Order: sequence, then structure tokens, then C-alpha cells
Amino acid sequence: MTSQSPTSKNSIRPYLVRLGVVIVISLVFTAVFNEVVFQFQRESYDRAPQVIELVIPAGTSKQVGAGQNEPVIPAEMSFVIGDTLQVKNEDSVSHQLGPIWVPADTTASLVMGQADKLAYSCSFTVSRYLNIDVYPPTTLGTRLAALIVAGPTTAALLFLYSLLMFPIRSKNSVILSTDEGLQAKTG
Amino acid sequence: MKTKFLYIGVGVLVGLALTLGVWKVLARSYTYQGSLINPPVPAADFTLTDQQGQPFRLSDQKGKVVLIFFGFTNCTDICPITMAQFTQIKDHLGDLAKDVRFVFITVDPQRDDVDALHTYVGKFDPSFLGLTGDPANLARVWKDYGVYVNQDATDGQDNYIDEHTARIYAIDAKSNLRLTYLYGTETDVIAQDISHLAREN
Repeated sequence: MTSQSPTSKNSIRPYLVRLGVVIVISLVFTAVFNEVVFQFQRESYDRAPQVIELVIPAGTSKQVGAGQNEPVIPAEMSFVIGDTLQVKNEDSVSHQLGPIWVPADTTASLVMGQADKLAYSCSFTVSRYLNIDVYPPTTLGTRLAALIVAGPTTAALLFLYSLLMFPIRSKNSVILSTDEGLQAKTG
Repeated sequence: MKTKFLYIGVGVLVGLALTLGVWKVLARSYTYQGSLINPPVPAADFTLTDQQGQPFRLSDQKGKVVLIFFGFTNCTDICPITMAQFTQIKDHLGDLAKDVRFVFITVDPQRDDVDALHTYVGKFDPSFLGLTGDPANLARVWKDYGVYVNQDATDGQDNYIDEHTARIYAIDAKSNLRLTYLYGTETDVIAQDISHLAREN
């Protein structure tokens, strides 16, 4: 059984206190830094997955056939993984949008499972094509994961830096200059 | 002693109830990975002729999950790949495969007669069904399932080929159209969905 002397406990304690303070400062710093960067660089797809509904109005197929349809959707759409694209077909014929096939008067949906850039054939646009981008979402969870990675690393570096810049002096020890130290050793 | 057994019995029952509850919750929370038609719609019924020369009526398949693919026996890429995918899905399903019908419907009735379908389907799995019929009847089926067919294309050697929609349709045990998969969807993805669809029954 080993026991620590009161002296060794006292000598470790300031380091632990310093480490604790540094960890708190690092976490706050990295959280604020991450969040500021995120807010400056955030994109429309930096959000939690959601259901996105498209409606194909009645008479669309006739209008598309005549090259006249008004765009019901943009030529490009961005999704995040986990989004559900729900297509409601109010037309009298079936329509398709890439992997989604919607019989007349029904609704079909697809969960976006993986990040990808795809050009799909689309029966309800005049161009007959639709570009779909699926991104991995940057959510609160992603940002917390970044904090977990960045926080301890920053804390470690800051702790070492603080020891160099502001050395911890124990009450019983005297800091010697290099020359004095050498003299003390040889003397 | 009796009290001890009572406690054990109650513990086992509670454990079973919890397991069942968790299983039910997990089963309900399954997310289909194909294009899901929700709410489901009744699948358009049809009667065609199978590779044995026997009539096949879709509405007679209630109680079974039916997977349908439209293609032609002279196809050299998409159709054989999808049929091979059917065999892999069947393997993946294991015992559940007995509750699933794998159906190939021709888009080329001029060349795909009963004999041609018998030979073609047999190469993959004799239990698969190959269906043909008169062109007018088939055209109705293609239209009901949104199948595009173009028989004007050629392979560059004066052989005509059929350009067609390459999609798998999944019909549940209540004869409702539930899911579709575009060509290229991973086999495991389809197999997981169909496995779940068959268990729903």
C-alpha cells in the first residue's frame, strides 16, 4: 500500500488547479471560436434533416408536353443526409423524379441516405433533368463532436504554454538561475 | 421457496414483455430505403401468361409480396443484372422467400414468347415468373406502371433493342403498391426492405 506525503499532494495540487482552469478556458474558447466560424460559413444545408415536399400540380404533363410548364421546382436542389423528399402528384398521370416514381393522385417519398451529387431524369420539368446534391449535415451534434476533438488538444497546448510563460512556484522551493543551480550542484 | 419462484417467474415475464416492447418499437421505426408510396395504393391488376403457359393474375397473389421488373430476354445488361439481383435478394430473404414472388414482365412481346421466357427465367431461378401476353394487354400494364418502352432503338447491328424503364416495383401482401427501386439500387438495400415488407404480413 502506498501513500502520498502531504508535501507531494501540495506539489501536485497547483498543477491540477491550473489544468482545470486551462480546460475550462479551452472549452469556452473553442466553443466560441467554432460557433463564430460556423455562423460565418454556414450554408443552407447546415441544418437538421427535415421533410421537403414537392407538389406536382394537375395538368403538369400536358404543359410539359407542350413545353409550357411553369417551374414547380428549381433546377437544382440541395438536401442533407436524412432529409425526406416527398413528392405529391396531383396530376392525372404518373411522374418520376430519379428514384422516385409517383402514381397519379398519390404521394411518394425517399429518404436521402448518402451524400452524393446526382443528375436525375425528371418527368415534370421541361428540361427533363434535375440536379440533386445531398450533403452531410452540420448539426449541433457535429459541432459538439468538433468541440470534443478541439477542446482537449487546445487545453493540452495551452497548459504547456502556461507552464512555460507562468511557471508554478511551490512555497518550499527556490527558483535558481542556471548559474546558481550549477554552483549549488558543484558546491 | 414459493415466493422465490414467483419472483423468478415475474422477472422472466417482465423481461419478455420488455423485449417484445423494444422489438415492436424497433420494428415500427424501420425506415424503408426505396421510394415509398405512402399511403399505399392498390396495385393495378392484370392477367398475363407465365412461362408455363398458365394465366397469372396479380390479384391472386394476395398474401405474397410481389417484386416486378419489366425487361426483355435479348437485353444484355440491365435485365440480366436485375434478374441476378433477384436471385441475390431471394438468397438474402432465406425462409421469407417463400412469401415473395419474383416476376419478370416482358417489354418485347414479339420475341419473348412462352418458350423464350421459360428458357430465360430458368437460367436464373425456375421459381421466378416470366410473363408475356398480347401487345395491347401488355401496353395497358406498362401504362399502369409508368413503364416507358421504345422499340425503335437498335444495337448498331440491325438488331432492335427495347429502351425501357428499369425499375423494380414492390407490391405488398395486400396487393398494394408500396415501394419502387431505380436500377442501380444496392441489392442489400432492396433485400432489407423486402424482408421487412414480408414480415409485415
